[in-house]
Amino acid sequence: MAAKEKTLALGADAAALAAETAIAAGRAGRRKERGAAWIFLLRGGSIVAMIAVWWLLTFFFPPSLIPLPSATFSEVISIVSSGQLFAEMGATLRRVGVGFGIAMIVAIPLGILMGTMKNLESFFEPPVILGLTMPGLVWAVMAIMFFGLSETSAYVAVAVSIMPMLAISLWQGTKSIDKDLIDMSTAFHASPWSKIVDVILPQLISHILAAIRYGLGLAWKVVVVVEMFGFSNGVGYQVVRGFNVFSMKQVLAWAITFLIVMIVVEFGAIGWLEAKVTRWRPRMEAWRR
Amino acid sequence: MAYVHIENAVKYFTREDGSDMLVLDKVSFDTKEFGITCLLGPSGCGKSTLLNAISGLERLDQGKIEVVGGANGTAHGAALLGYVFQDARLLSWKSVEQNLTFALKGMAIPPAEWPERLDKYLSLVGLAEFRHQYPLYLSGGMRQRVGLARGLVIEPEVLLMDEPFSKLDQLTARRLREESLAICARLKQTTVMVTHDVEEAAYMGDRIVILRARPARIVEIFENPLPAGERDVDDAQFIQFKKRLLNTVLKLMETDEVLS
Ligand SMILES: Nc1ncnc2c1ncn2[C@@H]1O[C@H](COP(=O)(O)OP(=O)(O)OP(=O)(O)O)[C@@H](O)[C@H]1O
Ligand SMILES: [Mg+2]
Repeated sequence: MAAKEKTLALGADAAALAAETAIAAGRAGRRKERGAAWIFLLRGGSIVAMIAVWWLLTFFFPPSLIPLPSATFSEVISIVSSGQLFAEMGATLRRVGVGFGIAMIVAIPLGILMGTMKNLESFFEPPVILGLTMPGLVWAVMAIMFFGLSETSAYVAVAVSIMPMLAISLWQGTKSIDKDLIDMSTAFHASPWSKIVDVILPQLISHILAAIRYGLGLAWKVVVVVEMFGFSNGVGYQVVRGFNVFSMKQVLAWAITFLIVMIVVEFGAIGWLEAKVTRWRPRMEAWRR
Repeated sequence: MAYVHIENAVKYFTREDGSDMLVLDKVSFDTKEFGITCLLGPSGCGKSTLLNAISGLERLDQGKIEVVGGANGTAHGAALLGYVFQDARLLSWKSVEQNLTFALKGMAIPPAEWPERLDKYLSLVGLAEFRHQYPLYLSGGMRQRVGLARGLVIEPEVLLMDEPFSKLDQLTARRLREESLAICARLKQTTVMVTHDVEEAAYMGDRIVILRARPARIVEIFENPLPAGERDVDDAQFIQFKKRLLNTVLKLMETDEVLS
């Protein structure tokens, strides 16, 4: 009798153990399904599909309009291996970097002030909205007319084009700050510096990151336009050169190298930064399929 | 030696349409020195507003509130005052432990004392094992306990607590009530605690201030006949006192219904 009970109990244990193992396996399986390898595969598949479409198009158009993917990629490789890439890309990146830096230094405080002070909000709203609607091309033309074909005009054109977008994003972000948390920090006598660094900036971080993403996207476009106007280096200049000799292969090769660099910055640098500063937030994977 | 003196506190809020709404109507009372004063009143009557006014977060339109006889004056001139908010109000981007050190730093507690205090109060609220976790990964009750620990860890002379046990299960709440009583006695703390729960008020409060709804006005102030160590929820004297409180609250609700 006692022995039977024991085996029964053992059986129950085994069943419980089996159930637990099954649950653990299920969890592991689900985790794997959303794992890095799968995502990598999806992204890779998407790129392969795009190249396939490109390749199909070569059957319908002459190579002067749509060159073969293979020919274009060997052009990319020659651009990289000749060292040309680093010189040209370096000039372009510097223009984007400096313009972007200036824009951030002006727009972040401006946006925060607009979000906190009603008077400043009303005063700066019209120029910011106007600035947002102004095409980057117009800024580029105006900057070159003003500063000539100098680095300054590239910096200014980039900075001015993205400033309104950055300011708007920070302005809206500041308005959505949680006042209760500020009260909390006041109740515990936090210093003004600690209020900014520990309480306010963390609430703005996702707005700042979004602004950086959009801002960079815009900056690339503006800088290429500026360079097309007669600069003697930079990616934009190389694209124009390709156009002048009517070589689609060259235009595409430069566009592709440019894209690769942008993707590295976007997904590598900014993605890394984002993961680092938003570790405290549960991932949205649970509801995003 | 500190207590809160409230004299003729009047506070208006502005409604959405711009008209004034009276929230505190000439509220006057002194809190118990070294002991717990409970504020008991219906939802929306202005209890949190009163605590905000005591902490200085909200300005009164008339009257005054002062902390009398605070010894450890801080740089800000106020007595060392701790606040356990009704909602947890944690910094989501800081771990449980960092949320407490945020308060320790603000209150200028010497860093040498931090580790010991963190250990003590985190284990008190049962969160020692979660000290490196971020708040968004915690349950509602756990977050409330972090807020409680943050108020306690600075060991303030005056502690304001806004329904600190409302989200906790019965057993945890009971344990934390006892611990809070013990801490309050050991640190000779002056505590002002808001509650909805008549039994909690009878158990925790040395003095119980009953407020009526909109605008908040004092109905009656009770002194607990039993000293803190001798309150037992099954004891006849305790039950009797609880009934007195309950009757006052019920009567209040009836007259309010007649009025409205
Ligand atoms: N910032 C504010 N602006 C306008 N009205 C407010 C504000 N804060 C609170 N009130 C109003 O003041 C009244 C009292 O609010 P309070 O939060 O003090 O109530 P309470 O007694 O703490 O209620 P509960 O027990 O539900 O927490 C409420 O009617 C509320 O609508
Ligand atoms: Mg309240």
